[in-house]
Amino acid sequence: MATIIHRMEVSDCVEYFDCGDEPLNSYLKKHAWNNQRKSSIGVTYVAVDEAAPQTVIGYFTLATASVPRDALPRRAVRGLPPYDLPMLLLARLAVDRRFKARGLGHALLSEPLRIAVAVSEQAGCRCVIVDVYPSAMGWYERYGFRPLEGGKGSSVRMYLDIRTVKAAQQHEGITG
Amino acid sequence: MPRTAQARRMKRRERVLRKPKFQADLPPIEDGAVRRLKDELQLTSNSDFLCEAVALFRWAVSERKLGHRIMSESASGEKRILVLPRLERIAPGATLPRVNIEWTEAELESLAQRVSSEPAKPTPALVRAMKG
Repeated sequence: MATIIHRMEVSDCVEYFDCGDEPLNSYLKKHAWNNQRKSSIGVTYVAVDEAAPQTVIGYFTLATASVPRDALPRRAVRGLPPYDLPMLLLARLAVDRRFKARGLGHALLSEPLRIAVAVSEQAGCRCVIVDVYPSAMGWYERYGFRPLEGGKGSSVRMYLDIRTVKAAQQHEGITG
Repeated sequence: MPRTAQARRMKRRERVLRKPKFQADLPPIEDGAVRRLKDELQLTSNSDFLCEAVALFRWAVSERKLGHRIMSESASGEKRILVLPRLERIAPGATLPRVNIEWTEAELESLAQRVSSEPAKPTPALVRAMKG
């Protein structure tokens, strides 16, 4: 299966997408396009199979964000310049359940991380942030995401330093 | 079926099948460039030329939209990056929207500790993701 990932277009067919999670299905079907096109709230990238290039089988949504330097507790901050902390928010990532366990999630996650590196070079990005279901934490931890403590609600906020992502990109040999 | 419905269907079908025509006013220099490119690429018609150009442009746009850089590499390894202002406008850094995230005090403290620490070493899965 050859997968293509591209920015969502109006012609992409999302009608049959089913990742097994209603909020994630509903976001793609009802909000993703409008949020991208009209509201500029998030940009959605979709994965399609080369053989059926209109049917979406996975997606992720990105936005940028920042934390004002003053919002960070002074006692916990070391060695940061006095500017806002820019970051990339991986707002959603989902794979159609009929295409699970085929490495599509891996391909989908690698793309926003590459984008994060590109953004860090073009506009500044210190880390990638993602809010995940507790059941998905282990999967993100495999890629080096670390939980941020003290969140509220049912999801866990996770952090990945852009320096770690860049180190992975420059890594010579692959181990493990 | 009433004739009007059939006529409407025929008209719709015609619209789908119709091939739009392009006409471009080119200054002599660009006209010459197009002719030379057509010769080099062994293209005989302007339609074929436009199709090839559109295919190339579509690919460039999709790559740049993903934040990929487009570069050429010489036999000696010298790399040159394509920088086209119109393509740069669609790169993610320039187009990703900005949102506000809600944070708890504890999350901000945890975030501050993370960004103040030495970065973790990449995991094997992350290395594979970035190399694949």
